[in-house]
Amino acid sequence: MRLIFGLLVMAVWAAGQGHQATPLPRQQPTEDPAAVERGQALFKSSCGFCHGDDATGARAPDLLRSPVVLRDDGGNLLGPTIRNGRPDKGMPSFTTMKDDQIAAIVAFLHHQANLALHSNRVARDYPLARLLTGNAQAGKAYFDGAGGCSGCHSVTGDLAHIAKKYSPIELQQHMVYPSGNDVSKTATVTLKDGTEYRGKVVHQDEFNIGLMCDDGWYRSFRADEVKISEKDPLEAHRELMRKYTDADIHNLFAYLESLK
Amino acid sequence: MIKYPRACVCGSVLMLFAAILCLAADGGLDPQVLLKPLGKDWPTYNGDYSGKRYSSLAQINQTNVRKLTLRWILQAQSVGIKSAPLMVDGRLYFTTPDNVWAADARTGEIIWHYYRESQGDHIGNRGVGMYHDWLYFETPDCHLICLNAKDGKVRWNIELADPKLGYFSTMAPLIIRDHVIVGVSGDVTDIPGFLESVRPEDGKVEWRWNTEPGVGEPGSETWPRSGDAILHGGGMTWMTGTYDPGLNQLYWGIGNPNPVLNGKIRPGENLYTCSIVSLNPDTGKLNWHFQVSPHDTHDWDATQTPVIFDDEYQGVHRKLLAQASRNGYFFVLDRTTGEHILTKPFIYTDWAKGIDSRGEPVPNPEKEPTPDGTLVSPGSDGATNWMAPSFDPETKLFYVSARRLWSIFYMTAEGKPEGWAGRDRNLWANSVVEAIDYQTGDIRWKHEIGDGEGSAGMLTTAGKLLFTADNSDNLLALDPATGETLWHVNLGGKMLGAPTTYELDGKQYLLTPTSNVILAWGLPEE
Ligand code: HEC
Ligand code: HEC
Repeated sequence: MRLIFGLLVMAVWAAGQGHQATPLPRQQPTEDPAAVERGQALFKSSCGFCHGDDATGARAPDLLRSPVVLRDDGGNLLGPTIRNGRPDKGMPSFTTMKDDQIAAIVAFLHHQANLALHSNRVARDYPLARLLTGNAQAGKAYFDGAGGCSGCHSVTGDLAHIAKKYSPIELQQHMVYPSGNDVSKTATVTLKDGTEYRGKVVHQDEFNIGLMCDDGWYRSFRADEVKISEKDPLEAHRELMRKYTDADIHNLFAYLESLK
Repeated sequence: MIKYPRACVCGSVLMLFAAILCLAADGGLDPQVLLKPLGKDWPTYNGDYSGKRYSSLAQINQTNVRKLTLRWILQAQSVGIKSAPLMVDGRLYFTTPDNVWAADARTGEIIWHYYRESQGDHIGNRGVGMYHDWLYFETPDCHLICLNAKDGKVRWNIELADPKLGYFSTMAPLIIRDHVIVGVSGDVTDIPGFLESVRPEDGKVEWRWNTEPGVGEPGSETWPRSGDAILHGGGMTWMTGTYDPGLNQLYWGIGNPNPVLNGKIRPGENLYTCSIVSLNPDTGKLNWHFQVSPHDTHDWDATQTPVIFDDEYQGVHRKLLAQASRNGYFFVLDRTTGEHILTKPFIYTDWAKGIDSRGEPVPNPEKEPTPDGTLVSPGSDGATNWMAPSFDPETKLFYVSARRLWSIFYMTAEGKPEGWAGRDRNLWANSVVEAIDYQTGDIRWKHEIGDGEGSAGMLTTAGKLLFTADNSDNLLALDPATGETLWHVNLGGKMLGAPTTYELDGKQYLLTPTSNVILAWGLPEE
C-alpha cells in the first residue's frame, strides 16, 4: 500500500512539474562505488582503447547508448557479450576474465549510463569554475554604469558579502532574477468610501486581490469594486532581462562572486 | 480491472433513437463519422480531425453563459487528468497514465475502470482513440492496448518500443479509416522517434515512419556524416496530429532532437526534428516538411497541434495549416504543398538571428546553452506547450495559451554529451491567452491569466464563446472577438487538459477536467 501511495505522489508531482520531474526510464540501483572504481580501471585497460575510456565510443560503439547495456540486469546480457565477444565484428572475447572483474565492469557501465540519464541536473553545487568566465572589472563598470544596479544596490550595503550568502549558481540566478526572495508586490487598495489598505499582494487574479495588510490581517477585495495601485519591486529586474547580453551577466557574476 | 455496476440508464426511446442515428450499423464509432465536422459527440482527442477545437453547438451562448450550473462531478481518484474525454453514444472515455475509465456522460457515473500498473515515465496521457467498439490506449511502458469499449476488457496488448531504452508514451491514438496512428515519447535517453500505423483488429504494423531519415536518404545531409548522431537523434511524436480527408494528408508535429540541450555532436539542421510533417496515412510516405526550429538546443519540440482550416488568404482561397510553436513563433503554411506563408513571434523571443527565405527562424549560436549559462526567452518549458489551441472560423482568430518565460540554459556535459547534457533553470514566467490574426500574425487581443505557467487548453463554440482557465484556477468564458470575460467560476484545481463539449438529449454539456476531477456544466433545467 505504502509503495503504491509513494508512486502516486511521485506521479502527481510529475504531472504538475512537466519535464522537470521526469522519472528515470528504469530504476537502476545505485552501484557500489568501490566496484565502479575497480570497473573503471579495468574498463580503461581492457576496453577503453576501442569504446573510449568513459564508454561513450571511439573505434567501437558508444556503450551508454547500447541496448545491451540499457537492457542488462546485473550482467545477464553484458557478461556473455564480454566473455564471448563478437570476433567476426571486431569485438574480442574475454574468456579469461574473472566473474568479479566482469561484475565490476558491469557496475561501471551502469554507473556511466546513469550519469547520462541524470545529465539534466544543474545542482546547487554546480562548480564555480564553470560559471566564472567573466571579467570582474567589466562587471563593476556595468554595475555602476550601464546596468544602473547601484541605483538600488550597494556592494558595501545590501549586497556586501553576497557571495557568502549563496552558492555560485544560486548567486547567478538571484542576481538575474531574485525569485524566491521574500519580495512580493505591494498594493494600496482604495475602497469607494476612501478607506485605504496597504500590504503585500498574496493573491491576485482578474477578479480578486488578497493583501496581507500592514496591520497583520489578510483581506480580500473584489477587483471591480476598489481602486488598486500596485508596486512591483522586481519590475526593474524583469526589464533588465531584455537588456543584458550574456557577457554582461558573466561579468556581473564575476564581480559579485568577488564580494566574499 | 475494477468493475462498477452499470449505471442505471433510463431507456428513453428518444435517447435510443439518437444513439442509433449517430452510429453506424455495427455499433461504436464508425470512422466515417470522423470525416464530418464536430457535431454532438466528441469522438477524437481534438474533437474532429482539424484540430480547431471549435464546436458548432450553440445552446450555451453569450446570452446565457452566466447561468451555467454544475450537472455532475466525477472524482477519478488519480493523478491530474490531461486527457480529452471522448464522448460517443452517451459514454465518456478518459485516461490518466495506466488508467482508462468509461463513464455515463449524463451522470458522470463510472461504468468501468481499467488499470494496469507499469514502469516508465508517467508524465501524462492524452486519451484514447476509438474504432467501432474498440478503444486504443498507450501506456507509460510504451505499450498499445486495445480494449472493448463495452466493458474495458483487453483484446490485445503489444509493445510499441522498448521501455528499457527509455521509450514511453503519452499521445491519444488517431483513427483514420482502418488505420490506428500511434506515436512514442522519450526524453532522457538518445533514442530515435517514429510514427506507426497499426491494424485496428490485431495491432499488426502497417507502416513505420522514422523521424530521422535513414543514412543516405534525403534529409540525412542535415546530420553529421560520421558517428551515430542520426541513429540517436530523438524526435518524439508526443502529441496527436491532424488529418485532411480531402487531401488524404496526415499532419504531425515532431519533437526535439537529442542530446536535448547540446547540439555540438549533431551539427546541421537535424531533420525531421522540430518539424511539421505531412504523411500519406496509407503508406507512411512523407509529402512535405517544414522545420520550425532548425538545430534546436532548447527542448522546443514542435508537437503543438498543427491546426487546419480553409480560408481566403490575401484574396485567394487556400487550404491552410497553422501552429503556435513552443519556440515562440506562429507559423502559417499551405497544407497541400507545405509552402510557407507566414512566420511571426507571438511572444518576445531572443534566440533567432532572423527568418530565412524558407520562413524558418535562424538560431543564433550564441543563444545555445553554455557551461556559464545563457539567458533565453522562452525557457525550455516553451512559449506554449501541450495546451490545446483553438481556431474559430467565425472570428478567424487562432487562440493560444502563451507564456512569457525567461530561463538560464546550462550545458553540463563534459566529454561526449548524452541525454539532456544540460538543463535550464526558470527565472520568471507569466501567461496570457492570445488571439492571433493568422492573416498578419498580429495579436488581436491579449487576456492576461497570471504569473506562472498556464496549463489549460482552449475551446471555442458557435455560441460565440471561448472557454479556458487562468493560473488561479478560474474557468473563464471569454468573448472570442474581444477577449472580454463574460463569466467565470473558480474550479478549485488546476486545469491540465482542455474544456470539451457535447450534446445529449437536447442538452449541451461543457466538460472541464480539473486536477483529478471532471466537472460537467450545463444550463439549468427549465
Ligand atoms: C578491439 C576493440 C574492442 C575491444 C578491446 C572491446 N570491444 Fe566491445 N566491441 C567492439 C566492437 C567493434 C563492437 C561492435 C560489434 C558489432 O558491431 O556487433 C563491440 C561491441 C560491444 C558491445 C555490444 C554493443 C552493442 O550495443 O551491441 C559491448 C557490450 C561491448 N562491446 C563491451 C566491451 C567491453 C566491456 C570490453 C572490455 C572488456 C570491450 N567491449 C572491448 C570492439 C571492442
Ligand atoms: C529598481 C531597483 C533595482 C535595480 C535597478 C536592480 N535591482 Fe537588484 N534587486 C532589487 C530588488 C527589489 C531585489 C530584491 C531584494 C532582495 O532580495 O533583497 C533585488 C535583488 C538583487 C539581488 C539578490 C540579493 C539577495 O540578497 O538575494 C542581486 C544579486 C541583485 N539584485 C543584483 C542586481 C544587479 C547586478 C543589478 C543591475 C544589473 C540590479 N540588481 C538592479 C532591485 C533592483
